[in-house]
Amino acid sequence: MLIQLILVAVILMFIGRLVGQFRNQKISGWEFIGWNIIWLGAIIIILFPDITSFLAIKVGVTRGVDLVIYVSIILVFYLLFKMLMRIENIEKDITKLCRQIALRDENKDN
Amino acid sequence: MKTLVIIPAKDEQRKIERVVKEIVQNGWPVLVVDDGSQDDTALAAKAAKAAVISHPLNRGQGAALKTGIDYAIIHGFSQVVFFDADGQMMAAEIAKVAAPLSDGYEVALGSRFMGQAKSIPRLKLLTLKLALYFTRLNTGLKLSDTHNGFQAWQISALKKINLTQDRQAYASQLLQEISRHKLKFKEVPVTIFYTDYSKGKGQSVFNAFNILWDLIIKK
Repeated sequence: MLIQLILVAVILMFIGRLVGQFRNQKISGWEFIGWNIIWLGAIIIILFPDITSFLAIKVGVTRGVDLVIYVSIILVFYLLFKMLMRIENIEKDITKLCRQIALRDENKDN
Repeated sequence: MKTLVIIPAKDEQRKIERVVKEIVQNGWPVLVVDDGSQDDTALAAKAAKAAVISHPLNRGQGAALKTGIDYAIIHGFSQVVFFDADGQMMAAEIAKVAAPLSDGYEVALGSRFMGQAKSIPRLKLLTLKLALYFTRLNTGLKLSDTHNGFQAWQISALKKINLTQDRQAYASQLLQEISRHKLKFKEVPVTIFYTDYSKGKGQSVFNAFNILWDLIIKK
């Protein structure tokens, strides 16, 4: 089906970018592996959607698509939460830096 | 007792000089923490004989106060008074606010509802009253005013607490810490002027939602 081709093409593009980032050392080896597992998993599910139906029935959800959506939403929330925390920590670090600079440059004329 | 008046200021070039002068005339040493101002706040404050330190970036009022507290500790002050840069408070009342510290209190909190709030906007009044109930719920402290920036602290008390809120939520955090450490505090009536300038500079009432968000999300 066309939708399968489109989705797989898009994901392959993502993986391509991932390889680039890994080569330029923008992400660590573990991040590279983790994201690859997620995207390859997504390709498998797109090409063989019946797998999810099988899993869905196992865990008690009727449709495979539903299971995929549930899991995706949980994943997205988790990542969002992690990002919020990360930004928060960065903000705190910036404040600490500003404070140190302010106290260090106390006697300088600005 | 060495007392330092700390004024966090961002883009207060127009008012800061007069505010600082008045405090200096009342005989208090002043530190202005310039919080990443884009204008000449730092110069104006220096011209009025305040010590000035500058955040290279704007980090918020809470962050600026914390920087001021660190400065006070480094320079051996034993008490600090928090004061606003926008001319809402009266320099003549600093002595009154700091007085309880000499009577064994660790913190003195200014209260505009025990004192006088001159021409306070109605929506602001409502928000402040709601904040009172929130504070009571949140900290168990029964106060007549909350989020009043006019406060006096023993450095020894400030050393006990951990001020992590960079923006406006610091005010609630200070109260939480007073409650948590059972600090001995007293409310003092103060006069707060609501001028057109302060209304324009001050935080919008809607910022209350941001404060709540900060309090819930961050610790």
